[in-house]
Amino acid sequence: MSRSAVRDALRGLLLFLVLASTFFLLIGRDPVSMFGAILTAAAGSGYAVGESLVRATPILLCALATLVPARLGLISVGAEGQLYAGAIAGTGVMIAWAGPPPLLLPAVVLGGMAGGALWALLPALLRNAAGVNETISTLMLNFVAALAVTWLVYGAWKNPQSQGWPATVEFPDIARLPTLGDSRVHAGLLIALAAAVLLAWLLGRTRWGLGLDVLCSNPRLDSVTSLSLARQVLLTMAVGGTLAGLAGIAEASVVQGRLQSDLAQGAGLSGFLVAWLAGNRVGRTVWIALGVGALLASGDGLQMSERVPSSVTLVVQGLLFVAALGAAAHRDRGTRHV
Amino acid sequence: MSSVDIVLAGLLVSALRSAAPLLLALLGECLTQRVGRINLGLEGQMLVGAVAGYATVAATGSPWLGLAGGAVAGALLSTVFGWLTVAAGANAFASGLAVWMLGLGLSAYLGTAFVGVRIEGFPLWIGGLTPTVALALVLVPLTALWLFRTRSGLRWRAVGESEHSARALGIVPWRVALSGIVVGGLFSGLGGAALSIDITRTWAEGMTAGRGLVAVGLVIVARWNPWLCLPAALLFGLGEALALRLQAADSAVAAHLLHMLPYAVSLLVFTLTCASLRRDPRSGGAPAGLRAVFER
Repeated sequence: MSRSAVRDALRGLLLFLVLASTFFLLIGRDPVSMFGAILTAAAGSGYAVGESLVRATPILLCALATLVPARLGLISVGAEGQLYAGAIAGTGVMIAWAGPPPLLLPAVVLGGMAGGALWALLPALLRNAAGVNETISTLMLNFVAALAVTWLVYGAWKNPQSQGWPATVEFPDIARLPTLGDSRVHAGLLIALAAAVLLAWLLGRTRWGLGLDVLCSNPRLDSVTSLSLARQVLLTMAVGGTLAGLAGIAEASVVQGRLQSDLAQGAGLSGFLVAWLAGNRVGRTVWIALGVGALLASGDGLQMSERVPSSVTLVVQGLLFVAALGAAAHRDRGTRHV
Repeated sequence: MSSVDIVLAGLLVSALRSAAPLLLALLGECLTQRVGRINLGLEGQMLVGAVAGYATVAATGSPWLGLAGGAVAGALLSTVFGWLTVAAGANAFASGLAVWMLGLGLSAYLGTAFVGVRIEGFPLWIGGLTPTVALALVLVPLTALWLFRTRSGLRWRAVGESEHSARALGIVPWRVALSGIVVGGLFSGLGGAALSIDITRTWAEGMTAGRGLVAVGLVIVARWNPWLCLPAALLFGLGEALALRLQAADSAVAAHLLHMLPYAVSLLVFTLTCASLRRDPRSGGAPAGLRAVFER
């Protein structure tokens, strides 16, 4: 990290502590004990650590899904919609499966990834064909995908045995990613970490990664890099969509056991801001995603130990991002050229 | 009544009522985008407006005070966006999302005490209309006339077109930009309060359900023109009113499909706008300052 990045991080941390402490004081709580309670609830026991990792997994995947197109200068906020599309596609494979049972799990996972990738290709194609700004298009497509889930679980895919609760049938055990011991931590976390390592290498050490950096700094240089900008828009969005789609099918199959509304729990939004705060660096993205996942997972524990609504953690998350954006803002000025 | 009657009876009134909160937010975002800023935090501002308005009515019993309380809360939250983008110079999209997240958290926290609390909203006027519908409808011409026919409206538009030229004319761009953001916050807070006080008459976490973000898209559909905000909002209101009726007529499935309509239409019109902008950069009616945000 350069010296200015360290200074930004410290300034952001300080600002965050001031803002969060002010918020705790305003709601009549002692800031020191509240920070202590958050730490305990997030990492105080094996169970707590497990829940934090479960919550962090989709956030990490969505952050990576934001990061890859961002390396080309694209601001995609579509991870949430891609997550839903992945969950829909994977669930569809599970429902329609007629092949041999041992192949069901890989088919479901691949289906989820393909669903996310296809959903991400839509804004990429629109951008290439008509110059449609990807931020607005992905934002709108998020809602279409989320509402498609609602439509399916109320309609065609509704489990008749679920007594009015809108959800699909449960995933059979053979269609679920393996979990770690008794916890809910699942193989999706390992895949996410492996993807992070692979991306760090691809983006930082290969000709392709260097080509993306060149295209990001000046799109007219595509002849120099022998990379076509339009094709890289498609590729980076699809890679991102694949990762977000994986998050979706993992949430549906392992964590919740079925497809239902509100599956994402804001992971796409958190993931976007995580990637942004990490300056689109893979290593930092992993750590910040784990931290934000732990913060959000601490909500339930706080509700019991401190008798505050779990939404306190949502406020703290918002303050964290506001502080970091405010502190690092001058760095953003004039650095994007695409 | 047959199911067709259930679906169609008083549809326009219901559409107007559903559209009113969105129309308020839409007018606010229209002004914000006219000064060259795009605020995705609108969603969060509507949420804090909704909860603050609801809390005020629960405490005082006056829906008018509730609307005022919601507007103030929305304006207050929008100053965070103003600070991030105008003073600190942070990226508009990221700042908007951060403000959205903060508003989501704050409203969920403040709203815990009001889940299940009943309030008395506005009494219905003849024809089933309410004061919030009237307020939203009156604000359309007021906003449009102010923006297009007054000196200060011209100054705002000048800043949205080019901060550089505006500065040369002796305008202080950051002051105008901040005003545009805070007025947007005021309107969106008002819209949120109209939603919780007048339409749903309950508070629920995340109850705006994307209306704020749809407003950001619909401003583009409305070509940054307050007059056109009315049909754009009505499109959404009509979709929502139809969806509710289809649900009542036991066609819940079709209703969920219909909910997608405003988002799909916004995206479609946005695509057409972008395509025409690509052919002719001066068409489309977009403030030039905003184009710098979109086109990179």
